[in-house]
Amino acid sequence: MLKKLTSAALAACFALPSLTMASDLDGLTPQQLLPLAQKEGSVTVFSLSSRIAKIEKAFEETYPGIDLIGLDMSSTKQIARVEAEQQAGVHAVDVLYIADTPVVFTKLLEGKRIVNYVPPRVANELEDRYKAPLLTQRLSTKVLMYNEKAFPDGSPVSNLWQLTQPEWQGRVLMVDPSQRGELLDLLTEIALHPDEMAAAYKAHFGKDIEVEGDLQGAGEQFIKDLFANDLILVPNSDVLNKSVGDVNAKSPPVGFGTYSDRRDNEKEGWALQIANNVEPANGILFPAVLTVADKAPHPAAARLLIDFMFGDDTPTGGAGFEPFNVPGDYATRKTIAHHPDSVKLDDLKAWTIDPAKTAAARGRIADLIITLQ
Amino acid sequence: MTSLSISAPSGSRLLRSGFLLPAILVAIVAILVVAPLLRILFTTLTPEGIAAWKAVLASPLSANLWWRPLLNTMILGFSVGAGCLLIGGFLAWLVVLTDVPGRRFLGLMASLPYMIPSFAAALAWGTLFRNSRLGGSAGFFETSGLAIPDWLAWGLIPTAIVLIAHYYSLAYTIIAAALSSVGADLVEAGQMAGAKRPRIFFGIILPVVTPALIAAASLTFAGAVANFAAPALLGLPVRMQTLSTRLFGMIETGQNERGFVLALLLIAVSALFLWLSDRIVSGRKAFITVTGKGGRTKRFPLGAWRWPLFAIAVIIGFLTTVLPVLVLAASSLAPQSGAVFSNWTLHFWIGEGGGEMAQGQAGIFRNPVLIDAIWNTIRLGLVVAFTTMLLGLGLAYTIVQRRGSLLATLLSQLAFLPLLVPSIAFAAAYIALFGAPIGPLPSLYGTFALLVIAASAHNLPFAVQSGRSVLGQISADIEESARLTGAGLIRRLFAIIFPLAIRGLFAGAILVFVKMVRDLSLVVLLFTATSPVLSMVAYRYAAEGFLQFANAITLVILVVCLAASFVAHSLQNRVQKWKAP
Repeated sequence: MLKKLTSAALAACFALPSLTMASDLDGLTPQQLLPLAQKEGSVTVFSLSSRIAKIEKAFEETYPGIDLIGLDMSSTKQIARVEAEQQAGVHAVDVLYIADTPVVFTKLLEGKRIVNYVPPRVANELEDRYKAPLLTQRLSTKVLMYNEKAFPDGSPVSNLWQLTQPEWQGRVLMVDPSQRGELLDLLTEIALHPDEMAAAYKAHFGKDIEVEGDLQGAGEQFIKDLFANDLILVPNSDVLNKSVGDVNAKSPPVGFGTYSDRRDNEKEGWALQIANNVEPANGILFPAVLTVADKAPHPAAARLLIDFMFGDDTPTGGAGFEPFNVPGDYATRKTIAHHPDSVKLDDLKAWTIDPAKTAAARGRIADLIITLQ
Repeated sequence: MTSLSISAPSGSRLLRSGFLLPAILVAIVAILVVAPLLRILFTTLTPEGIAAWKAVLASPLSANLWWRPLLNTMILGFSVGAGCLLIGGFLAWLVVLTDVPGRRFLGLMASLPYMIPSFAAALAWGTLFRNSRLGGSAGFFETSGLAIPDWLAWGLIPTAIVLIAHYYSLAYTIIAAALSSVGADLVEAGQMAGAKRPRIFFGIILPVVTPALIAAASLTFAGAVANFAAPALLGLPVRMQTLSTRLFGMIETGQNERGFVLALLLIAVSALFLWLSDRIVSGRKAFITVTGKGGRTKRFPLGAWRWPLFAIAVIIGFLTTVLPVLVLAASSLAPQSGAVFSNWTLHFWIGEGGGEMAQGQAGIFRNPVLIDAIWNTIRLGLVVAFTTMLLGLGLAYTIVQRRGSLLATLLSQLAFLPLLVPSIAFAAAYIALFGAPIGPLPSLYGTFALLVIAASAHNLPFAVQSGRSVLGQISADIEESARLTGAGLIRRLFAIIFPLAIRGLFAGAILVFVKMVRDLSLVVLLFTATSPVLSMVAYRYAAEGFLQFANAITLVILVVCLAASFVAHSLQNRVQKWKAP
């Protein structure tokens, strides 16, 4: 009996400091995290990319004794699952690797279902906007793409407003923005830049834009005109790439797609190329973020994994980042070099979305799009 | 004293007359179906939810958010239901009741399309009919110089055709099960009384299988209104939205409340139609055909029509089965997903990794998790099919026994609804409801049991509908005599009901198995094991942009489904020995 009490008291002595530790963990180096993580034994991650399987192998080789359990799920499903689990008081997942940041921001961060963590090892190599409100690991794109075989002299579009003219009627493709968050974010971002859109209008048409009464700003007017010009909606990026990129097409359409899909050009018989010199911008850069779940069961291992996924100091980022280092996607960590064949991040004429601002404006644009269909 | 002696028998009569079973069933249905539905309803009663109701029903958005998608959805639902009854019914009649040549072959072909994912049929349609609206390479007809108008390439008409091509096999499966229990004695009695063939068909056969027709119509209707792939692939390019594409989009863009409101409204509308069809069935006299005497089936001679009808059936089978499978198979062999009929290679099946192909990924049969995934898939499919059928049998039995009563109507309505609840909402409700320990019961989070429970509830409609269409034909006399000789409920179920209804039950089990093996949403949200199921492996490949691998996995899934249906077939023949020719 006495023995039990003593051991209970002893356990409490050890347990108490470990309770306060979760927040202290944020300041530890990977070397300090490692023994704690090994004691925890495993780490569970929901990942938007199935390339987490490669991370699993590399992580377990680098840090033996920690079992990485990776489940690949779309961002929407991750959000649904985390919300439902935490409502039931279940805390089973440690790390989310997730996009769809405007929804993550409102549903998970504001709901305190996740906490932001920035690994001290790489903190100095990241711009501030990539460290808060959520830690951005890399940037993906939704930008205007054209067919470089059919248009060998470069992009046929140099101003977004061209897309609202008869020449491009029924020849602009987009994955339905009422079906996919990234495209909704793209249109929202256009609406959030009314002045640039108005200036681009004047540059193209030579006169000031007149915005209809029920619309707010030149961006919303553009969205309305784009839909009115028979914008073609498709269900997924695969259909879009085939339609825009087909090497045999004579007069192919243009479309808002993913820059990194260009890497499949040879394999698929596509001629996808980014239209970079577009006024005022050719699309958006949007973040994929790494974040720790609230009350994560393996807090040290979670932080160690996030640290690991920012790669090592080599230009490729090493085993921790390499699976995600594809041309057309951009690492936020400055030491990781961008692919030589793709446009440099600084030269890319795309707007980078701000999850908080997008989240606030998105509902209105979603409604606008519904009325335009 | 007197009061005691009165109450005692009435108490046991209460048990014997079967109040216990309905009570248990009501409780189970309440937990499995009503609770998650209520949870979804409650999330739409928050301030955001109320705003969503307003946006959907009374705002400038409602025309495009609700009314037009509703109209499209209903047109799709009814035309697909009608088309499936016609084609599925025709084939079932041909295979079960006539002497058409190659009946086994035709039957096999007719049961296949449901095992092929609906996107394959939509892709096959695109391969033939795609026009220049989207740019890219045109379909077969346009490249051969035939201009395809937009209405034939995109929108309601192609979507309806593709969905009929996908779902008619579901109708076939259910109607064929019911037709096979139309005894030869009935038909011969009609013939002896001098009835002509049309008279026999419309006077005897049709009325007898009406419950099966209603069941088939309800399930195909529900399948069509809930289908996402076909309307998305063929409808979006002309901005045709259905409730399912709207619903998916709302949840995908983080507007869950609106999505749930749409789902609830869709459920309400569908329930109304189901209730009406229920009225039609229960309003008429029920026909009892399985009497325990003679179970032979009478086959009509087709005479000169034997071969022409055979040809029609083969053409239907070719267009709806062979063509989509060919497209799938070809696209699992073609290195370029845009040109599926050139440069074929077996790399995506058996190729070694490390080369130039597919970014060094090896073929699916070299994927170490594949075998694991196949076993996991089969195990999950079997367990869910079994539990669903067990529950479905109990429900169908109660519904049939109490035909016309409030309880039966309520149970049949509730058992039908899960098909219309979006998987993602269903799964989330299950995690929230059963993730926490309830009283003495432990938390079910992350257990195989939770997945099985949720999947059973989700697939319940197949089991109940197919079960009741066959159970309704079994004569109460047989059960009555068993009861008189002292057989209990369980004994009666296993000695009488089960063998007689096995065809219908297995038909339902196959449908559940197929749905479970192909369905991803429910699995991915409730599964926590690291060794995946096949649909998750396919998703992984597709997410990486390797549709060839994904299509190869889809074909593996097809083979698994086919094998399961073969096993079911031989099992049911073994049980129903009297049916042997």
